[in-house]
Formats: sequence, structure tokens, C-alpha cells
Amino acid sequence: MKSWALYGITRKLTEPFKKLEENTGKMDKIFRRSLNIYPIDVGNNGDLNFEMAALAAPQYNIHRFGIFFADSPRHADVLLVLGRCSEKMVGPLKETVNQLPKPFNIIIVEDGTDFGISARDLSLPNVIAYYDKKLEAGEILSVLLNITGDKK
Amino acid sequence: MRLLGVLEKDSKELLILQDRNQLSLESIDNIKEKFANYTMLKNRDKHIGSKAVKGNGVFNFRYGPVTGGVGDAGVFNIYTYGERILSVDIDPGYKKRNIETLIKNTALHQAVNWSENVCSNFAFSHSCAFLRAVEKAGSFRSDEVTQRIRIIGIELERIYNHLYVISRLSKGASQNVLASHLEGLFEEALRTNKLFSNSRFLKHTNDLFIDKNNFKKLDEAALKTKNIKEKFEELYEHSLASWNFIDRLYKTAVLDQKKALEIGVTGPTLRAAGCREDLRVYEKFYDNFKIITKDKGDVLARMQVRAEEIMLSCDMVIDQIDKIKKMQQNNSKIDEPSISGFGMGYCESPSGLVLYFVNMNKGIVQDVYISTPSVFGFKAFADSFVGYIFTDFSFSFDSFGINFADCAR
Repeated sequence: MKSWALYGITRKLTEPFKKLEENTGKMDKIFRRSLNIYPIDVGNNGDLNFEMAALAAPQYNIHRFGIFFADSPRHADVLLVLGRCSEKMVGPLKETVNQLPKPFNIIIVEDGTDFGISARDLSLPNVIAYYDKKLEAGEILSVLLNITGDKK
Repeated sequence: MRLLGVLEKDSKELLILQDRNQLSLESIDNIKEKFANYTMLKNRDKHIGSKAVKGNGVFNFRYGPVTGGVGDAGVFNIYTYGERILSVDIDPGYKKRNIETLIKNTALHQAVNWSENVCSNFAFSHSCAFLRAVEKAGSFRSDEVTQRIRIIGIELERIYNHLYVISRLSKGASQNVLASHLEGLFEEALRTNKLFSNSRFLKHTNDLFIDKNNFKKLDEAALKTKNIKEKFEELYEHSLASWNFIDRLYKTAVLDQKKALEIGVTGPTLRAAGCREDLRVYEKFYDNFKIITKDKGDVLARMQVRAEEIMLSCDMVIDQIDKIKKMQQNNSKIDEPSISGFGMGYCESPSGLVLYFVNMNKGIVQDVYISTPSVFGFKAFADSFVGYIFTDFSFSFDSFGINFADCAR
């Protein structure tokens, strides 16, 4: 049996990725090929949390585009707000936005359900993209590449 | 006998009880037995776990609702003096969406939609349990094609959930190559779901009667499932040879059988504690089904149960697809406005028993109660984590396969 390190390089799982053109705002060029994102669940039904987990899969290999998950909002360039906000999550969401270092941007992706409050109605600053429907992992990657203006 | 829920009706308290595959609704006055999980179920929307601990140097380490460690919105109040965990109290309220209230006074299809949105990674199990409760209320049974398609949906759901849990465990143990390959298989499993049902989370598929002609890519789904099984078998065998990995999971967050039964936990957590209980054995169309158990009750045992269930589920999906292809579609229909009465239905979801109590009047849902495996799973986590250290948090929590969306509804 091969060691894990050798086993790892015997399989090529990364797939070519062609981004879809999305109608989003654009971030400063300095974030191209270096973007740290922090996802926050504000009360979604679980779809989007699992899509974020899928985004970490080697098929997408987001690191090749310079996209990384930040461990804290204080290290993030983009806050990804996932879902519609439950009553108790309004305060923590606003506090998380306060913790973001400037310049930052916010992407709101809802899960297509009716419950909770739309984060768009919370007057959050620097919202660069808003979707009132659920996005799949590949679509989320497209949005991230669109906001940084990545040509891939 | 297990207590699965406490509901109030006409200012009377009713208990939802389960004995093997028999469900019953009893007035609390008629039951002499005391259930250790009664208070926990009564307060399931406020807090789950143990009380706050006070003492010299003891403080509350509040983890959540916004942390890098737990992606779901919820709060863990962890009482510790800095090393050993003394008590865990969980607040699931950050994810509360009042879905039971939203389901009331809705027509059947809207109600199925709500049930799928309780928790997307158990969407098919929730819709199955709901529809089975409706079938009981209306005193009819769905046809064989529908039941076999539901088996495929339930098992596909189990495969991707178990893959997700094991990938989280391997990531927590810094087994990055294993984690990366498992994440790859997890994505493949989601794509298989989409081939099967046109939804990565198997939504908008389940119904009282399902038309098999809606499923155009069964062969491709079967082939992908076969590939997932082959790749997973290789990875699993490889992972068990990694002592670094095993050492992190072995004897971590042990939940013994007595405690598991007291809490009322079901699913892989109960089977990993040595209890041979899986309600799929009572279902008519599960062919060649076997219950997988382990006896240590630790994180490793829970992972082993899930790993072996992945392989079993893959076989079942392939087998059921093969059978469905040869079957004739029965064009059964039910007049939905004719459904009146109450019923209870269950489904063995990837993390335990999902149960629905419904009261229908002329096809409209009048009342509903949802019992979810995550409520019991959170209590099991809170109890089993005591005595361990914070470094064990990710293994302990992830091994139960639970989430706040399912718990808080």
C-alpha cells in the first residue's frame, strides 16, 4: 500500500473550470488571485452550508484561483452571507460585519425559502452581489471569480 | 420503549412512543414509565445538554454562533476550568424557523416542501417521514415503485451524509490527503443525486405516488454509485492503516449503550454503542438488508458504522435501480382532499430516526409535530464530551452527524 503522500499524487481530481458571467459588482484589482472568504450561516436550511463544504472539494480546487477560506472574519476580504436571517442572528451578523477589515465586500446568497429576514433589508454596507435563490458550489465559484475580475 | 416527543393538544400532554417499528400516541396520565429524556424533549427549543457548572476557576467558554469551527448557527456554552470539559449546554435557538407553525394550514405539496426545508441534508428523510404519516392518516399505502424509489433516495442521502461526516473527521485529524479524496467523493455523491433527482439534495422528488418515468438517468446514477463504492472501499482500507488517524478517534467521546438508550438516540450513534436497532429491517422492500453494529461507542466506532453503511447503501441503490427498471409503472393516484385523520410516519435518516405526527383535514395539514435525530444527537454529544478536552471538539461533534437546522426546525 502506498503512503498517503504518494497515494495523493497518483490521482488527479481537479477539473477544468469555466466561469459563468454573472452580473456582480467588482472588487479592487488587488484581490485578484488572492481572496479570503468567510461564510456565515444566518439561518439557512443547510443547503448552502453543504455547498460551501462541496466548494472545498478538489474538483473545484479553489486555491488555484487564489481563493481561500478565512478562519475568522478579521482575516476575510469577503463575507458570504448564507441564507435568510433568523431573528437571533441579526445581531451576530452585524457584529461580524463590524469585525471585517477594510476594504471588504459582502455577498448575500439566500436559499430560496420564505422564512426569516432578507439580509438585503438589513442595510449592510458594501454588498457586491445578491442572489435570492440557492447557488450550487460551481455557481458560487463563478460569482467569486466575477467579483475579482478573474479572466479564467 | 422510547420517548420520541412530547406534544400538547387541547391543553393535554401527549407522548410519542416507539417500540421497534410501532409508534403510539399516549396521554401522559396513562403512562407509568418514567423517561429520562422527558425534560430534555420538553425544553428542546430552549437548551439541550447539562446545567451550568460553578466552581473555583470555572468559566463559560461560549462557542458560536459565528465560529470557524462550526459552520452552523448555534451556541455551545462549554463550562471548563481551562482543560477538562465539565459541562456543555447548547442553545439551538439561532436557527429557529418555526417550520411546524408554517406547515399548519397548508396543502399537501406545500407541506412537503416545508418538510424538505427543515434540514436540506436530511431533506429526503423528512419528506419520506411526512408522506408516510400522511399515508397513515389517509389509511392508504403508496405503490411498490414509489417505495423502491424512496429507498434509493434515502440511501443516496445516507451515502453523501456519511461521506461528509468521515471527511470532517479526517480533516479534524489533519489527514489532509484522505480528507481531500473524501471531499471529492462527497461532491461526486452530490452530482449522483442530481443525476437521479435533478437536485443535489434530493428535493422536489418525493410524493405520495412517484412516476418512475421522471427518472431518465438511472443507469448513469447506478454507475456513479458503483464508482463511489469502489473508491471509498480503497480509501477506507487505507485510512484504517493510519495509526495517527485511528489514535485520534479511538476512545474519544465514548457513549455507552445504557446512556444512548436513556437519551433516546437512534441511528449510527446507537448502533456504534452495540445496539442492533435499525428500522429499515421492518420495511418490505429492503432486500438483503443487514444491521451494522460496533460495540465501543466511541468516535471510531461511529465512523466504522458509517463507513460500512456507505458500502451497503451503494449496493442497495444499485440493486433497487436494477429492480425498478424491470417494473411496470402502476398509475395509482389518491384524491388529496379526501385525506383526513391523524397518523405518524418515520424514516431512518442518515443520523437516526425522523418522525412526523400529522393531523389532516380534507387534504390540509391541521397540526404537525416533528421529532428529529439531531435533538437526541446534541444531547448525546453534550454528555459524551464531558471529561474530554477542547481539542477533541471537532471529532466528537462531527461524529454524531448532527446539525442545528435539523434540531431547531
